[in-house]
Amino acid sequence: MNWSSLYADMNAANFFNFSFLPKYASFFVEGIIYTLLLSIVAVALAVIPALLLALMRLSKNKVIKAISGAYIAVFRSTPLLVQLYIIYFGVFGAIRIPSVYIGFIDLSRFIPGVVALAINSSAYVAEIFRAGILAVDIGQTEAARSLGMTGAMSMRLIVLPQAIKNILPALANELITMVKESSICMTLGMQELMWGAKTVAGNTYITLAPYVLAAMIYFCINFPASKAIEAIERRMRRGDKH
Amino acid sequence: MATNIDNNAVLIEVQNLRKEYNGGEVVALDNCSMSVRRGEVVSIIGPSGSGKSTLLRSLNLLETPTSGRIIFDGVDLADKKVDINLHRRRMGMVFQHFNLFPHKTVLQNITIAPINLKIMTKEEAEAKAMQLLERIGLKDKANEYPAMLSGGQKQRIAIVRALAMNPEVMLFDEPTSALDPEMVGEVLDLMHSLVMDNMTMVIVTHEMGFARKVADKVVFMAEGSILEVNTPDELFDNPQDPRLKDFLSKVI
Ligand SMILES: Nc1ncnc2c1ncn2[C@@H]1O[C@H](COP(=O)(O)OP(=O)(O)OP(=O)(O)O)[C@@H](O)[C@H]1O
Ligand SMILES: [Mg+2]
Repeated sequence: MNWSSLYADMNAANFFNFSFLPKYASFFVEGIIYTLLLSIVAVALAVIPALLLALMRLSKNKVIKAISGAYIAVFRSTPLLVQLYIIYFGVFGAIRIPSVYIGFIDLSRFIPGVVALAINSSAYVAEIFRAGILAVDIGQTEAARSLGMTGAMSMRLIVLPQAIKNILPALANELITMVKESSICMTLGMQELMWGAKTVAGNTYITLAPYVLAAMIYFCINFPASKAIEAIERRMRRGDKH
Repeated sequence: MATNIDNNAVLIEVQNLRKEYNGGEVVALDNCSMSVRRGEVVSIIGPSGSGKSTLLRSLNLLETPTSGRIIFDGVDLADKKVDINLHRRRMGMVFQHFNLFPHKTVLQNITIAPINLKIMTKEEAEAKAMQLLERIGLKDKANEYPAMLSGGQKQRIAIVRALAMNPEVMLFDEPTSALDPEMVGEVLDLMHSLVMDNMTMVIVTHEMGFARKVADKVVFMAEGSILEVNTPDELFDNPQDPRLKDFLSKVI
Protein backbone atom coordinates (compact mmCIF):
# COMPACT_ATOMS: atom_id res chain seq x y z
CA MET A 1 0.00 0.00 0.00
CA ASN A 2 1.20 3.47 -0.83
CA TRP A 3 0.83 5.41 2.39
CA SER A 4 2.03 8.67 0.94
CA SER A 5 -0.81 8.81 -1.61
CA LEU A 6 -3.32 7.95 1.12
CA TYR A 7 -2.25 11.02 3.01
CA ALA A 8 -1.98 13.15 -0.11
CA ASP A 9 -4.91 15.31 0.97
CA MET A 10 -3.50 15.80 4.44
CA ASN A 11 -1.44 18.87 3.87
CA ALA A 12 -2.02 22.37 5.05
CA ALA A 13 -2.53 23.69 1.57
CA ASN A 14 -5.57 21.48 1.09
CA PHE A 15 -7.01 22.33 4.48
CA PHE A 16 -6.82 26.01 3.85
CA ASN A 17 -7.32 26.20 0.10
CA PHE A 18 -9.85 29.03 0.30
CA SER A 19 -9.47 29.98 -3.38
CA PHE A 20 -13.24 29.50 -3.78
CA LEU A 21 -14.00 32.43 -1.50
CA PRO A 22 -14.13 35.36 -3.92
CA LYS A 23 -16.77 33.59 -6.01
CA TYR A 24 -18.65 31.64 -3.34
CA ALA A 25 -18.51 33.85 -0.23
CA SER A 26 -22.25 34.48 -0.45
CA PHE A 27 -22.95 30.79 0.25
CA PHE A 28 -21.25 31.17 3.59
CA VAL A 29 -22.77 34.53 4.44
CA GLU A 30 -26.27 33.30 3.66
CA GLY A 31 -25.46 30.06 5.44
CA ILE A 32 -24.58 31.92 8.62
CA ILE A 33 -27.79 33.93 8.44
CA TYR A 34 -29.87 30.80 7.80
CA THR A 35 -28.19 28.88 10.62
CA LEU A 36 -28.64 31.70 13.12
CA LEU A 37 -32.28 32.19 12.12
CA LEU A 38 -33.00 28.48 12.39
CA SER A 39 -31.41 28.27 15.84
CA ILE A 40 -32.81 31.45 17.34
CA VAL A 41 -36.34 30.90 16.05
CA ALA A 42 -36.28 27.24 17.10
CA VAL A 43 -35.19 27.99 20.67
CA ALA A 44 -37.60 30.94 20.91
CA LEU A 45 -40.48 28.74 19.75
CA ALA A 46 -39.43 26.10 22.26
CA VAL A 47 -39.68 28.36 25.31
CA ILE A 48 -43.43 28.44 25.90
CA PRO A 49 -44.08 24.71 25.28
CA ALA A 50 -41.04 23.95 27.43
CA LEU A 51 -42.38 26.01 30.32
CA LEU A 52 -45.70 24.17 30.07
CA LEU A 53 -43.91 20.82 29.94
CA ALA A 54 -41.81 21.74 32.97
CA LEU A 55 -44.83 22.85 34.99
CA MET A 56 -46.66 19.66 33.97
CA ARG A 57 -43.66 17.63 35.02
CA LEU A 58 -43.70 19.34 38.44
CA SER A 59 -47.46 18.88 38.82
CA LYS A 60 -48.88 16.63 41.52
CA ASN A 61 -51.34 15.12 39.01
CA LYS A 62 -49.82 11.80 37.96
CA VAL A 63 -51.41 11.74 34.50
CA ILE A 64 -50.25 15.24 33.58
CA LYS A 65 -46.82 14.42 34.94
CA ALA A 66 -46.63 11.20 32.91
CA ILE A 67 -47.66 12.89 29.64
CA SER A 68 -44.93 15.46 29.97
CA GLY A 69 -42.43 12.85 31.13
CA ALA A 70 -43.17 10.68 28.09
CA TYR A 71 -42.82 13.59 25.68
CA ILE A 72 -39.50 14.58 27.17
CA ALA A 73 -38.26 10.99 27.19
CA VAL A 74 -39.18 10.37 23.55
CA PHE A 75 -37.52 13.50 22.22
CA ARG A 76 -34.41 13.10 24.33
CA SER A 77 -33.96 9.42 23.53
CA THR A 78 -34.22 9.46 19.74
CA PRO A 79 -31.84 11.11 17.27
CA LEU A 80 -32.70 14.61 16.15
CA LEU A 81 -32.17 13.47 12.55
CA VAL A 82 -34.91 10.85 12.86
CA GLN A 83 -37.26 13.36 14.47
CA LEU A 84 -36.50 15.85 11.71
CA TYR A 85 -37.37 13.36 8.97
CA ILE A 86 -40.54 12.17 10.67
CA ILE A 87 -41.76 15.70 11.25
CA TYR A 88 -40.69 16.90 7.81
CA PHE A 89 -42.17 14.08 5.80
CA GLY A 90 -44.89 13.00 8.20
CA VAL A 91 -46.41 16.12 9.63
CA PHE A 92 -45.46 18.55 6.90
CA GLY A 93 -46.11 15.97 4.21
CA ALA A 94 -49.76 16.38 5.17
CA ILE A 95 -49.66 20.14 5.75
CA ARG A 96 -48.20 21.67 2.61
CA ILE A 97 -46.63 25.06 3.02
CA PRO A 98 -46.53 27.13 -0.19
CA SER A 99 -43.08 27.94 -1.51
CA VAL A 100 -42.89 31.54 -0.36
CA TYR A 101 -39.50 33.21 -0.23
CA ILE A 102 -38.35 35.75 2.32
CA GLY A 103 -35.07 36.93 0.88
CA PHE A 104 -33.22 33.74 0.00
CA ILE A 105 -35.15 31.65 2.54
CA ASP A 106 -37.75 29.24 1.22
CA LEU A 107 -40.46 29.06 3.89
CA SER A 108 -41.74 25.69 2.70
CA ARG A 109 -38.45 24.24 3.90
CA PHE A 110 -37.62 26.63 6.71
CA ILE A 111 -40.88 26.24 8.63
CA PRO A 112 -40.91 22.44 8.88
CA GLY A 113 -37.24 22.49 9.80
CA VAL A 114 -37.59 25.11 12.48
CA VAL A 115 -40.67 23.43 13.91
CA ALA A 116 -38.86 20.09 14.11
CA LEU A 117 -35.91 21.71 15.87
CA ALA A 118 -38.26 23.58 18.22
CA ILE A 119 -40.15 20.43 19.14
CA ASN A 120 -36.90 18.65 19.89
CA SER A 121 -35.51 21.63 21.77
CA SER A 122 -38.65 22.01 23.90
CA ALA A 123 -37.88 18.66 25.54
CA TYR A 124 -34.40 19.85 26.52
CA VAL A 125 -35.52 23.34 27.50
CA ALA A 126 -38.27 21.80 29.64
CA GLU A 127 -35.59 20.11 31.69
CA ILE A 128 -33.72 23.41 31.93
CA PHE A 129 -36.85 25.08 33.28
CA ARG A 130 -37.52 22.22 35.66
CA ALA A 131 -34.00 22.30 37.07
CA GLY A 132 -34.16 26.11 37.34
CA ILE A 133 -37.44 25.98 39.23
CA LEU A 134 -36.25 23.21 41.55
CA ALA A 135 -33.10 25.19 42.34
CA VAL A 136 -35.21 27.90 43.99
CA ASP A 137 -35.32 27.31 47.75
CA ILE A 138 -38.52 25.50 48.72
CA GLY A 139 -38.84 28.01 51.58
CA GLN A 140 -39.78 30.64 48.98
CA THR A 141 -42.82 28.64 47.92
CA GLU A 142 -43.68 27.88 51.53
CA ALA A 143 -43.54 31.56 52.47
CA ALA A 144 -45.71 32.48 49.50
CA ARG A 145 -48.24 29.74 50.18
CA SER A 146 -48.34 30.57 53.90
CA LEU A 147 -49.48 34.06 52.91
CA GLY A 148 -52.41 32.50 51.07
CA MET A 149 -51.07 32.71 47.53
CA THR A 150 -52.25 29.98 45.19
CA GLY A 151 -49.71 27.62 43.68
CA ALA A 152 -49.94 29.41 40.34
CA MET A 153 -49.51 32.82 41.92
CA SER A 154 -46.48 31.79 43.92
CA MET A 155 -44.96 30.23 40.81
CA ARG A 156 -45.53 33.39 38.77
CA LEU A 157 -44.64 36.03 41.34
CA ILE A 158 -42.07 34.33 43.52
CA VAL A 159 -40.48 31.22 41.99
CA LEU A 160 -40.16 31.95 38.25
CA PRO A 161 -38.60 35.40 38.65
CA GLN A 162 -35.88 33.77 40.76
CA ALA A 163 -35.59 30.68 38.56
CA ILE A 164 -34.89 32.88 35.52
CA LYS A 165 -31.40 33.49 36.85
CA ASN A 166 -30.66 29.77 36.70
CA ILE A 167 -32.52 29.31 33.42
CA LEU A 168 -31.05 32.03 31.18
CA PRO A 169 -27.46 30.74 31.00
CA ALA A 170 -28.65 27.21 30.29
CA LEU A 171 -31.00 28.55 27.66
CA ALA A 172 -28.14 30.40 26.00
CA ASN A 173 -26.15 27.17 25.98
CA GLU A 174 -29.10 25.43 24.35
CA LEU A 175 -28.93 28.07 21.62
CA ILE A 176 -25.27 27.21 21.06
CA THR A 177 -26.14 23.54 20.83
CA MET A 178 -28.82 24.41 18.32
CA VAL A 179 -26.38 26.37 16.15
CA LYS A 180 -24.37 23.16 15.84
CA GLU A 181 -27.25 20.68 15.65
CA SER A 182 -29.14 22.65 13.03
CA SER A 183 -26.46 21.56 10.56
CA ILE A 184 -28.45 18.37 10.04
CA CYS A 185 -31.06 20.47 8.24
CA MET A 186 -28.63 20.36 5.35
CA THR A 187 -29.91 16.87 4.60
CA LEU A 188 -33.30 18.34 3.74
CA GLY A 189 -31.81 21.02 1.51
CA MET A 190 -32.15 23.90 3.94
CA GLN A 191 -29.54 26.44 2.97
CA GLU A 192 -27.79 26.75 6.28
CA LEU A 193 -24.05 26.95 6.77
CA MET A 194 -23.26 23.26 6.28
CA TRP A 195 -25.36 23.14 3.11
CA GLY A 196 -23.41 26.12 1.83
CA ALA A 197 -20.10 24.35 2.45
CA LYS A 198 -21.28 21.16 0.80
CA THR A 199 -22.59 23.02 -2.23
CA VAL A 200 -19.35 24.92 -2.64
CA ALA A 201 -17.38 21.68 -2.33
CA GLY A 202 -19.54 20.07 -5.02
CA ASN A 203 -19.30 23.00 -7.40
CA THR A 204 -15.59 23.61 -7.07
CA TYR A 205 -14.24 20.09 -6.53
CA ILE A 206 -12.38 21.55 -3.55
CA THR A 207 -13.55 18.84 -1.16
CA LEU A 208 -11.94 19.77 2.12
CA ALA A 209 -11.43 23.51 2.61
CA PRO A 210 -15.13 24.54 2.45
CA TYR A 211 -15.83 22.26 5.42
CA VAL A 212 -12.80 23.60 7.25
CA LEU A 213 -14.13 27.10 6.72
CA ALA A 214 -17.57 26.04 7.97
CA ALA A 215 -15.98 24.54 11.07
CA MET A 216 -14.06 27.76 11.67
CA ILE A 217 -17.22 29.80 11.36
CA TYR A 218 -19.14 27.56 13.77
CA PHE A 219 -16.26 27.85 16.21
CA CYS A 220 -16.05 31.62 15.88
CA ILE A 221 -19.75 31.92 16.69
CA ASN A 222 -19.99 29.39 19.49
CA PHE A 223 -16.74 29.68 21.38
CA PRO A 224 -16.96 33.42 22.15
CA ALA A 225 -20.66 33.00 22.89
CA SER A 226 -20.06 30.26 25.43
CA LYS A 227 -17.24 32.24 27.03
CA ALA A 228 -19.53 35.25 27.27
CA ILE A 229 -22.21 33.14 28.94
CA GLU A 230 -19.69 31.82 31.44
CA ALA A 231 -18.57 35.34 32.26
CA ILE A 232 -22.13 36.57 32.73
CA GLU A 233 -22.91 33.56 34.90
CA ARG A 234 -19.89 34.27 37.08
CA ARG A 235 -20.90 37.87 37.49
CA MET A 236 -24.47 36.94 38.35
CA ARG A 237 -23.26 34.49 40.96
CA ARG A 238 -21.06 37.17 42.50
CA GLY A 239 -24.03 39.55 42.60
CA ASP A 240 -25.95 36.91 44.59
CA LYS A 241 -25.66 37.49 48.28
CA HIS A 242 -28.81 36.76 50.15
CA MET B 1 -50.11 36.16 80.59
CA ALA B 2 -53.28 37.26 78.81
CA THR B 3 -56.30 37.31 81.07
CA ASN B 4 -59.62 35.52 80.76
CA ILE B 5 -58.18 32.93 78.38
CA ASP B 6 -60.67 30.36 79.51
CA ASN B 7 -63.53 32.51 78.33
CA ASN B 8 -62.09 32.68 74.85
CA ALA B 9 -63.17 30.34 72.11
CA VAL B 10 -60.96 27.62 70.72
CA LEU B 11 -59.39 28.84 67.46
CA ILE B 12 -57.39 25.76 66.48
CA GLU B 13 -58.17 22.24 67.57
CA VAL B 14 -55.80 19.44 66.56
CA GLN B 15 -57.32 15.99 66.88
CA ASN B 16 -55.43 12.71 66.67
CA LEU B 17 -52.98 14.07 64.15
CA ARG B 18 -50.69 11.57 62.48
CA LYS B 19 -48.02 12.37 59.93
CA GLU B 20 -45.99 9.74 58.15
CA TYR B 21 -43.17 10.25 55.69
CA ASN B 22 -41.86 7.85 53.07
CA GLY B 23 -44.97 5.67 53.14
CA GLY B 24 -44.92 5.10 56.87
CA GLU B 25 -41.18 4.60 57.27
CA VAL B 26 -40.97 7.75 59.39
CA VAL B 27 -43.73 8.63 61.83
CA ALA B 28 -43.18 12.32 62.52
CA LEU B 29 -46.42 12.81 64.46
CA ASP B 30 -48.29 10.12 66.31
CA ASN B 31 -51.79 10.79 67.64
CA CYS B 32 -51.21 14.43 68.56
CA SER B 33 -54.05 16.43 70.01
CA MET B 34 -53.95 20.01 71.30
CA SER B 35 -55.87 23.22 71.13
CA VAL B 36 -55.17 26.91 70.82
CA ARG B 37 -57.66 29.45 72.12
CA ARG B 38 -58.05 32.95 70.80
CA GLY B 39 -55.55 35.24 72.46
CA GLU B 40 -53.57 32.34 73.80
CA VAL B 41 -49.80 31.97 73.45
CA VAL B 42 -48.76 28.34 73.08
CA SER B 43 -45.14 27.34 73.08
CA ILE B 44 -43.96 24.02 71.70
CA ILE B 45 -40.69 22.63 73.04
CA GLY B 46 -38.86 19.34 72.72
CA PRO B 47 -35.66 17.75 71.48
CA SER B 48 -34.51 17.92 67.88
CA GLY B 49 -36.50 15.66 65.57
CA SER B 50 -39.40 15.37 68.00
CA GLY B 51 -41.91 16.69 65.45
CA LYS B 52 -42.32 20.30 66.58
CA SER B 53 -41.94 21.78 63.11
CA THR B 54 -44.13 19.12 61.58
CA LEU B 55 -46.89 19.85 64.07
CA LEU B 56 -46.64 23.61 63.53
CA ARG B 57 -46.54 23.27 59.74
CA SER B 58 -49.55 21.00 59.85
CA LEU B 59 -51.58 23.82 61.39
CA ASN B 60 -51.64 25.71 58.08
CA LEU B 61 -51.31 22.54 56.04
CA LEU B 62 -47.79 23.12 54.76
CA GLU B 63 -47.63 19.48 55.78
CA THR B 64 -50.64 17.39 54.84
CA PRO B 65 -51.72 15.14 57.70
CA THR B 66 -51.77 11.41 57.10
CA SER B 67 -54.81 11.23 59.38
CA GLY B 68 -56.53 13.29 62.02
CA ARG B 69 -58.20 16.67 62.01
CA ILE B 70 -57.08 20.29 62.22
CA ILE B 71 -60.11 22.37 63.03
CA PHE B 72 -59.49 26.06 62.45
CA ASP B 73 -62.37 28.28 63.48
CA GLY B 74 -64.80 25.40 63.02
CA VAL B 75 -63.48 24.16 59.64
CA ASP B 76 -61.48 20.95 59.23
CA LEU B 77 -58.50 22.07 57.16
CA ALA B 78 -57.49 18.47 56.43
CA ASP B 79 -60.71 18.12 54.43
CA LYS B 80 -59.74 18.08 50.73
CA LYS B 81 -62.79 20.16 49.80
CA VAL B 82 -61.61 23.12 51.87
CA ASP B 83 -59.91 25.97 49.98
CA ILE B 84 -56.82 26.11 52.13
CA ASN B 85 -55.63 29.38 50.58
CA LEU B 86 -58.53 31.27 52.13
CA HIS B 87 -57.62 29.95 55.57
CA ARG B 88 -53.90 30.46 55.24
CA ARG B 89 -54.49 34.18 54.82
CA ARG B 90 -55.77 34.19 58.35
CA MET B 91 -52.68 32.43 59.75
CA GLY B 92 -49.31 34.16 59.58
CA MET B 93 -46.20 32.04 59.54
CA VAL B 94 -42.61 32.93 60.41
CA PHE B 95 -39.77 30.63 59.42
CA GLN B 96 -36.41 29.88 60.90
CA HIS B 97 -34.63 31.10 57.76
CA PHE B 98 -36.89 34.13 57.21
CA ASN B 99 -37.74 33.21 53.61
CA LEU B 100 -37.99 36.80 52.49
CA PHE B 101 -38.37 37.18 48.72
CA PRO B 102 -34.87 38.25 47.62
CA HIS B 103 -36.02 39.72 44.30
CA LYS B 104 -38.48 42.06 45.99
CA THR B 105 -37.84 45.15 48.10
CA VAL B 106 -38.82 45.20 51.76
CA LEU B 107 -41.98 47.11 50.90
CA GLN B 108 -42.85 44.70 48.09
CA ASN B 109 -42.21 41.72 50.37
CA ILE B 110 -44.86 43.06 52.71
CA THR B 111 -47.40 44.16 50.11
CA ILE B 112 -47.15 41.47 47.44
CA ALA B 113 -49.65 39.09 49.01
CA PRO B 114 -52.35 41.56 50.08
CA ILE B 115 -52.19 43.33 46.70
CA ASN B 116 -52.20 40.24 44.50
CA LEU B 117 -54.84 38.49 46.57
CA LYS B 118 -56.90 41.67 46.15
CA ILE B 119 -57.34 42.04 49.88
CA MET B 120 -56.12 45.63 49.74
CA THR B 121 -55.46 48.21 47.07
CA LYS B 122 -51.82 49.06 46.42
CA GLU B 123 -52.23 52.32 48.36
CA GLU B 124 -53.83 50.59 51.34
CA ALA B 125 -51.23 47.84 51.39
CA GLU B 126 -48.37 50.31 51.20
CA ALA B 127 -49.82 52.51 53.89
CA LYS B 128 -50.25 49.49 56.13
CA ALA B 129 -46.71 48.29 55.34
CA MET B 130 -45.20 51.68 56.14
CA GLN B 131 -47.11 51.80 59.40
CA LEU B 132 -45.77 48.34 60.32
CA LEU B 133 -42.24 49.29 59.29
CA GLU B 134 -42.52 52.38 61.43
CA ARG B 135 -43.52 50.21 64.36
CA ILE B 136 -40.34 48.16 64.05
CA GLY B 137 -38.17 51.16 63.26
CA LEU B 138 -37.25 50.03 59.75
CA LYS B 139 -39.19 52.57 57.71
CA ASP B 140 -35.96 53.72 56.08
CA LYS B 141 -35.38 50.20 54.72
CA ALA B 142 -38.63 50.12 52.73
CA ASN B 143 -36.89 50.28 49.37
CA GLU B 144 -33.91 48.09 50.22
CA TYR B 145 -33.57 44.50 49.11
CA PRO B 146 -33.40 41.80 51.79
CA ALA B 147 -29.75 41.08 50.96
CA MET B 148 -28.87 44.46 52.49
CA LEU B 149 -30.41 43.64 55.89
CA SER B 150 -29.06 41.95 59.00
CA GLY B 151 -30.59 38.66 60.16
CA GLY B 152 -32.54 40.36 62.93
CA GLN B 153 -33.90 42.94 60.52
CA LYS B 154 -34.86 40.21 58.04
CA GLN B 155 -36.76 38.27 60.65
CA ARG B 156 -38.59 41.34 61.88
CA ILE B 157 -39.57 42.15 58.29
CA ALA B 158 -40.75 38.56 57.88
CA ILE B 159 -42.93 38.93 60.96
CA VAL B 160 -44.31 42.19 59.65
CA ARG B 161 -44.96 40.60 56.24
CA ALA B 162 -47.18 38.06 57.96
CA LEU B 163 -48.85 40.74 60.09
CA ALA B 164 -49.75 42.75 57.00
CA MET B 165 -52.39 40.13 56.20
CA ASN B 166 -54.12 40.87 59.53
CA PRO B 167 -53.86 37.25 60.64
CA GLU B 168 -55.85 35.81 63.52
CA VAL B 169 -52.96 33.64 64.63
CA MET B 170 -49.20 33.75 64.15
CA LEU B 171 -47.15 30.56 63.82
CA PHE B 172 -43.43 30.75 64.58
CA ASP B 173 -40.94 27.99 63.80
CA GLU B 174 -37.78 28.70 65.77
CA PRO B 175 -37.73 32.34 64.70
CA THR B 176 -34.45 33.13 66.46
CA SER B 177 -32.34 30.00 65.97
CA ALA B 178 -30.74 31.18 62.72
CA LEU B 179 -29.75 34.52 64.25
CA ASP B 180 -26.47 35.76 65.68
CA PRO B 181 -26.92 35.99 69.46
CA GLU B 182 -26.86 39.78 69.48
CA MET B 183 -29.90 39.89 67.20
CA VAL B 184 -32.10 37.50 69.13
CA GLY B 185 -33.30 40.21 71.48
CA GLU B 186 -34.81 42.51 68.87
CA VAL B 187 -36.87 39.64 67.41
CA LEU B 188 -38.05 38.42 70.80
CA ASP B 189 -38.96 42.01 71.72
CA LEU B 190 -41.15 42.30 68.66
CA MET B 191 -42.79 38.97 69.43
CA HIS B 192 -43.34 40.12 72.97
CA SER B 193 -45.10 43.21 71.73
CA LEU B 194 -47.46 40.97 69.74
CA VAL B 195 -48.21 39.07 72.93
CA MET B 196 -49.05 42.39 74.55
CA ASP B 197 -51.45 43.09 71.68
CA ASN B 198 -53.23 39.84 72.51
CA MET B 199 -52.21 38.11 69.31
CA THR B 200 -52.86 34.38 69.26
CA MET B 201 -49.47 32.72 68.84
CA VAL B 202 -47.98 29.27 68.48
CA ILE B 203 -44.22 29.35 68.98
CA VAL B 204 -41.79 26.51 68.42
CA THR B 205 -38.69 27.60 70.28
CA HIS B 206 -35.51 26.64 72.03
CA GLU B 207 -35.62 29.89 74.01
CA MET B 208 -36.90 28.44 77.27
CA GLY B 209 -36.71 31.75 79.11
CA PHE B 210 -38.88 33.41 76.50
CA ALA B 211 -41.35 30.52 76.41
CA ARG B 212 -41.69 30.71 80.16
CA LYS B 213 -42.17 34.47 80.10
CA VAL B 214 -44.82 34.76 77.38
CA ALA B 215 -46.59 31.42 77.05
CA ASP B 216 -49.94 30.65 78.56
CA LYS B 217 -49.36 27.01 77.82
CA VAL B 218 -46.30 24.94 76.99
CA VAL B 219 -46.46 21.75 74.93
CA PHE B 220 -43.64 19.24 75.31
CA MET B 221 -43.03 16.83 72.44
CA ALA B 222 -40.74 13.84 72.04
CA GLU B 223 -40.57 11.26 69.26
CA GLY B 224 -43.66 12.54 67.51
CA SER B 225 -45.90 12.57 70.56
CA ILE B 226 -47.19 15.29 72.84
CA LEU B 227 -46.12 14.09 76.27
CA GLU B 228 -47.01 16.99 78.52
CA VAL B 229 -49.07 20.18 78.30
CA ASN B 230 -49.12 22.63 81.15
CA THR B 231 -48.70 26.21 82.28
CA PRO B 232 -45.07 27.28 82.02
CA ASP B 233 -44.57 27.42 85.78
CA GLU B 234 -45.94 23.92 86.31
CA LEU B 235 -44.18 22.45 83.31
CA PHE B 236 -40.77 23.92 84.05
CA ASP B 237 -40.84 23.68 87.88
CA ASN B 238 -42.73 20.47 88.28
CA PRO B 239 -42.17 18.29 85.21
CA GLN B 240 -43.84 14.88 85.32
CA ASP B 241 -42.70 12.94 82.28
CA PRO B 242 -39.18 11.50 82.68
CA ARG B 243 -38.27 12.57 79.16
CA LEU B 244 -39.31 16.14 79.96
CA LYS B 245 -37.20 16.06 83.12
CA ASP B 246 -34.28 14.79 81.10
CA PHE B 247 -34.83 17.41 78.38
CA LEU B 248 -35.04 20.27 80.88
CA SER B 249 -31.93 19.14 82.70
CA LYS B 250 -30.05 19.44 79.40
CA VAL B 251 -31.37 22.76 78.14
CA ILE B 252 -31.68 24.85 81.30
N1 LIG C 1 -39.87 15.76 54.47
C1 LIG C 1 -39.52 14.79 55.35
N2 LIG C 1 -39.26 13.55 54.92
C2 LIG C 1 -38.92 12.57 55.79
N3 LIG C 1 -38.81 12.73 57.11
C3 LIG C 1 -39.07 13.95 57.60
C4 LIG C 1 -39.43 15.04 56.76
N4 LIG C 1 -39.62 16.13 57.53
C5 LIG C 1 -39.38 15.73 58.80
N5 LIG C 1 -39.06 14.43 58.85
C6 LIG C 1 -38.75 13.65 60.08
O1 LIG C 1 -39.80 13.84 60.99
C7 LIG C 1 -39.30 13.95 62.30
C8 LIG C 1 -39.77 15.24 62.93
O2 LIG C 1 -39.15 16.31 62.27
P1 LIG C 1 -39.38 17.82 62.68
O3 LIG C 1 -38.67 18.65 61.69
O4 LIG C 1 -40.82 18.09 62.87
O5 LIG C 1 -38.62 17.89 64.09
P2 LIG C 1 -38.35 19.14 65.00
O6 LIG C 1 -38.87 18.80 66.35
O7 LIG C 1 -38.85 20.37 64.38
O8 LIG C 1 -36.76 19.17 65.07
P3 LIG C 1 -35.74 20.40 65.13
O9 LIG C 1 -35.72 20.88 66.55
O10 LIG C 1 -34.44 19.81 64.73
O11 LIG C 1 -36.23 21.44 64.18
C9 LIG C 1 -37.81 13.83 62.22
O12 LIG C 1 -37.45 12.51 62.50
C10 LIG C 1 -37.51 14.17 60.78
O13 LIG C 1 -36.37 13.47 60.34
MG1 LIG D 1 -37.93 22.11 63.53
